[in-house]
Amino acid sequence: MTFFALVLGLLVGAFVIITTTPAVLDAWRAIFHGWSGLPHALNLTFNNVGAAYRSMFTGSVVDPQGLWHSITTGNGWTNTLTPISETLTYATPLVIASIGVGIAFQTGLFNIGANGQAVIGGIAGAVVGSMLHMPTVVHLPLTLLAGIAGGMICGAVPGVLKAYTGAHEVIVTLMFNYVTYAFLLFMVLSTPFQQPGQQNDIGRTMDPSAQLAPLFGTSSGLRVSYGVFVAVAVVVFAWWLLNRSSLGFDFRVTGANPAAARASGINARSVIVVVFLISGGLAGLAGVVQVASTTHYIDGGFLIGNAGIGFTAITVALLGRNRPMGIVWSALLFAALGVGGRNMQAATGIPLDLATVIQSAIVLFVATPVLVKEIFRLRSVATTSVQLATTGWGS
Amino acid sequence: MSLLDAKTTPAPTPPVANRRTRAIAVIMGLIGVFSIFVFGFGSPARSHSSFTFNPINLQNAPWHVGSLTVVTRWTDVVLGVVMVALAAETYLRRPRRGVMARFGFVAVLFLLGLLSWAARTPGPSPTSSVNITAILVGSSAAAMVLIFGSLSGVMCERSGVVNIAIEGQFIGGAFLGSMIASTTHDFFFAAIAGMIVGGLIGLVLAFLSLRYRSDQIIVGVVLVTMLSSLSSYLNLQVFTPFPNFNTGILAPNLPIPLLSKIPVLGPVFFNQSGFFYVMIVLVAVVSFALFKTRYGLHVRAVGEHPRAAATVGIDVIRVRYVNVVLGGAIAGLGGVAFMATQGQFQVGYTSGYGYIALAALIFGRWRPSGAVVASIIFGLSVYLSYNLVTYNVPISLYILQMFPYLITIAVVAGLIGRVRAPAADGQPYVRD
Repeated sequence: MTFFALVLGLLVGAFVIITTTPAVLDAWRAIFHGWSGLPHALNLTFNNVGAAYRSMFTGSVVDPQGLWHSITTGNGWTNTLTPISETLTYATPLVIASIGVGIAFQTGLFNIGANGQAVIGGIAGAVVGSMLHMPTVVHLPLTLLAGIAGGMICGAVPGVLKAYTGAHEVIVTLMFNYVTYAFLLFMVLSTPFQQPGQQNDIGRTMDPSAQLAPLFGTSSGLRVSYGVFVAVAVVVFAWWLLNRSSLGFDFRVTGANPAAARASGINARSVIVVVFLISGGLAGLAGVVQVASTTHYIDGGFLIGNAGIGFTAITVALLGRNRPMGIVWSALLFAALGVGGRNMQAATGIPLDLATVIQSAIVLFVATPVLVKEIFRLRSVATTSVQLATTGWGS
Repeated sequence: MSLLDAKTTPAPTPPVANRRTRAIAVIMGLIGVFSIFVFGFGSPARSHSSFTFNPINLQNAPWHVGSLTVVTRWTDVVLGVVMVALAAETYLRRPRRGVMARFGFVAVLFLLGLLSWAARTPGPSPTSSVNITAILVGSSAAAMVLIFGSLSGVMCERSGVVNIAIEGQFIGGAFLGSMIASTTHDFFFAAIAGMIVGGLIGLVLAFLSLRYRSDQIIVGVVLVTMLSSLSSYLNLQVFTPFPNFNTGILAPNLPIPLLSKIPVLGPVFFNQSGFFYVMIVLVAVVSFALFKTRYGLHVRAVGEHPRAAATVGIDVIRVRYVNVVLGGAIAGLGGVAFMATQGQFQVGYTSGYGYIALAALIFGRWRPSGAVVASIIFGLSVYLSYNLVTYNVPISLYILQMFPYLITIAVVAGLIGRVRAPAADGQPYVRD
């Protein structure tokens, strides 16, 4: 089912490439002058789409030629492993943020504000990491905790408003995203936090004691960091929370049937607030992991546009059906699409945003399983998709 | 007679509504106190503020209106006292109607106080001034786009479909509008193209949520993600290599003879681009169609109780399709209007207007007229958040830019529960 959605998503991407590459369009136009142009048009189409998807693959998983070269000669391993390392680096915060979004979805709540929460988490982490100075043993955990706390504060607002006034979390979290962007620009452009001696929108660099070090040492040239273990811990925590704890049971009951939850004495308000605290905290953790494992500083473009892991997290959670392991796989897939997109942009000139188009197309198909079922004439497939607990703006 | 009485006797107000009314009153009071102490006593005793009313382009202003100079401190204190008085009246009387109107009035008074504080200059003869007409003209552009968006929301939500993809329809309309307007130099074609693309996005939303009953909010949000990345992709693929497709051409102003020469009101209402007049006509048409015609009755029935509507023979799904597509077309037109007043298409430049329009819709109680009033207030705050820095305001531009969004949150949080959405809003309809 998910596989078919993936195929359809890639087809949409191919369609977008074809309709926006002038050479391919010209070739297709030639068909109107005679059938002889057809092989050429088909050829050109396959070449263009093939080159795009091939460069996506080699840029995110492995380049077969490079791999063969490394195996036979024994060197060049850094180049060979860089794509997979980049994918893991990208996937690490994505898994964390997506699990936060997924937990909210399981409770029937939609946290579109994950990106803003991650921004605040990243800012909080970067502030603690750059403006306090301590040994690693204390500094790194404190930095991560600061990120969690920042995300929690940012997540608490929509949670409390939803629980006590009924304000729809979608609109509140969306508005908070814009508030946090403005706050980010304010922070990186004003005195205490702006990089000393800088006029541009760049924040202070984190101390080495607060950074998540590369897994294979700085000399390896691979960026994949100890953040991977943070992500693993989050996955285990989420699995335990949702499947083994009574709190997680309350969450899932609330998401599956709010009326039944109320009847069985579950306090809906506290569930909403707690879910938003957890969801926001995880998004904040994702933000701080992102800073601490890659750039080590924050600039005005932090998590904006293509880099907005909080938005990708929504699609990842939907694709992974909000289950921890499903999220891990889909985060790896989407990270590969994102990282491969960068390589595609460099190799073929097709903009990176194509990756996001493909991702959202995949999720549209995942959200409408019946459509996929009809397209592929499948029988007996689970056709449940995510439904939010509150439809409309109800209170 | 007794029947009439039964109709007009107010039902006892539920305690929740009472509490919310009081909460709103307290917020109004706090705004008033803030105005008194920060704007009023926060400005030097002798400082004066000057307001001017002449448009920047004097061609349309044969009548010269003198400037108004006031003592900043006492003006703001008086404004604040009026706000506090309104808050006290709301708190004590707990009126069942008109709470929103009072809140809106307080918001306008607050903006006036803010402006006079921002324009303060020490000494009795002010050296700088705030041009009220320029501010109104500037915010009318933002308000116009928000009105288009919230009208789209009215169309969709009255029929029971939440259109959260308004932002996406803005993006689509702005993108295609810029392309068509730049190549044909004709905003009529641009408007048509924008309506088509908005309608198509609406059709996708309707198709997925009505036929396949996907969650409307999820589908809407994913559509927005898709359109914003698609616009960014196409921007790089089309607009960057061919800048002639995106020249940033602006719609010309079409002054209405005579009327455009009225002081203050003329430049604001009668010297605007064609989109503005279309917007005014649309507000009238949508209000009339929804509340005075048979079609509107069907739409509202479908939005309130689709099953009952189906029982009397209304095709629920068809009504919803029609409304979502029409609403999408209106939002697409809004995207073109946005582009026609802001210029060149840039990635992400609609910056959440589509969502603010949804909040305006809620603030306006799902009525076109209310949505217009709310959009004007939001439009003013959006405009001021960008332009207040040119005055004497010791606050960072970025902090100011948070305010429209924070106000939106406050409005949504304060009003949900007080205002009632169409009962079937967002509910999928299953045919029996």
